[in-house]
Amino acid sequence: MTADPIATVHDLLVAGLRAWRVDGSVTRAPDGTLELTARGATLRVSRASLPFRWMVTFGVRSRGVTSVAGLLRTVRRVVDPDHQSNRLRIAPAPLVPP
Amino acid sequence: MIPVGVLTGFLGSGKTTLLGRLLKSPDFGRTAVIINEFGEVGLDHDLIETSDESFVTLQTGCLCCTIRGDLVLTLAEILRRRDDGAVAPFERVVIETSGLADPAPILHALMGDDHLAARLAVAGVVTTVDAVNGAETLGRMPESVKQVAVADRLVLTKTDLVDAPPNALLARLAALNPSARVLSATFGAIDPAHLFDAGVCDVSGKSPNVPAWLADIPHHHDAAHDPGRHDERISCFALIRDRPIPAVALTLFLEVMAEHCGADLLRLKGIVDIAESPDRPAVIHGVQHVFHPPAFLARWPSSDRRSRLVFIVREIPRAFVEALLAAIEAEVHEAAQPA
Repeated sequence: MTADPIATVHDLLVAGLRAWRVDGSVTRAPDGTLELTARGATLRVSRASLPFRWMVTFGVRSRGVTSVAGLLRTVRRVVDPDHQSNRLRIAPAPLVPP
Repeated sequence: MIPVGVLTGFLGSGKTTLLGRLLKSPDFGRTAVIINEFGEVGLDHDLIETSDESFVTLQTGCLCCTIRGDLVLTLAEILRRRDDGAVAPFERVVIETSGLADPAPILHALMGDDHLAARLAVAGVVTTVDAVNGAETLGRMPESVKQVAVADRLVLTKTDLVDAPPNALLARLAALNPSARVLSATFGAIDPAHLFDAGVCDVSGKSPNVPAWLADIPHHHDAAHDPGRHDERISCFALIRDRPIPAVALTLFLEVMAEHCGADLLRLKGIVDIAESPDRPAVIHGVQHVFHPPAFLARWPSSDRRSRLVFIVREIPRAFVEALLAAIEAEVHEAAQPA
């Protein structure tokens, strides 16, 4: 696990585009900002101060997110708007019978 | 708890023959069978002979997509009839799917109903594979690939019709689902004891079967790096962690996997060293976005205390899963630091 959060998220976004089957690229600017380009959209991802962890800028709009999960959700809504997500469901059936 | 086995396999792969032989076995008496046939006129149920202590119920329609609710109702009904003494006190249930069924929604139905979950326990998925035509079927029919990918046991049928071991097919099965044990049946003959025993615990709850369940999980990173362990869109790999994983990191990881990869996460099972529970590892198991509640074992089943997660996925890059877990672990670690 790398200690650099920007590098970690860079790797995650690169792999995320592949997982979502979205053609695009993620580059890292000298100031540490990540620039993601896909399907004609460009998003900038940068570190944010608390209570947020990440700031996602798309055009003139900026949105703060508090987690990696929120970051992925925000990015995907822009680059893969047709995706229908599932929510984790914990079934009542126990894995080990009581 | 009454064990429920799911018997699946592509059209003509020998499910009904296997089931017919099983039901004649003294060890497989007292079985309630639910046969799902695709089409208005079912035939398979007429081909099954049962003992006096077993019975067959027929459902038509595609079990996986249109009548999942009907399956829950059928199971509830046969349990009610069992309680009322209207049918023999069966000791297990076998659901034979249609040859075109996707087993995942069936597992969801079994896992997801409160009332059924209190009485029924999934005892595994058995998938029949035709030794003669299996390779060709896997190449042409995506349904058959998924049936193999989610199996706990693969039963090679019609082996009497091939002159030599079908090595190419066996290699293909190993690539699709290396964690499934491959068995062989000739004219449907097979030891039933080896089929539906794939749960974490014996459904009686008396004989924990954790080591056997975990034996399928690779112990080395190398197992997951084998380039032969992929087959077009389906792949199987393992993530291994030497350090404990905080509980919240595991929860977040599973939530994101469900959100972004749910339909393509064919199966995930593993044992996890939870940071807050060092002596009691958590066993997890999920199909797509539906998971059992984690089960905390009384102790580690072996001296290997690493977290081991096995994924069978469709077109989910291993790099994404690795990067996601790393990012979430880093975030949880960062959040735990003083401001």
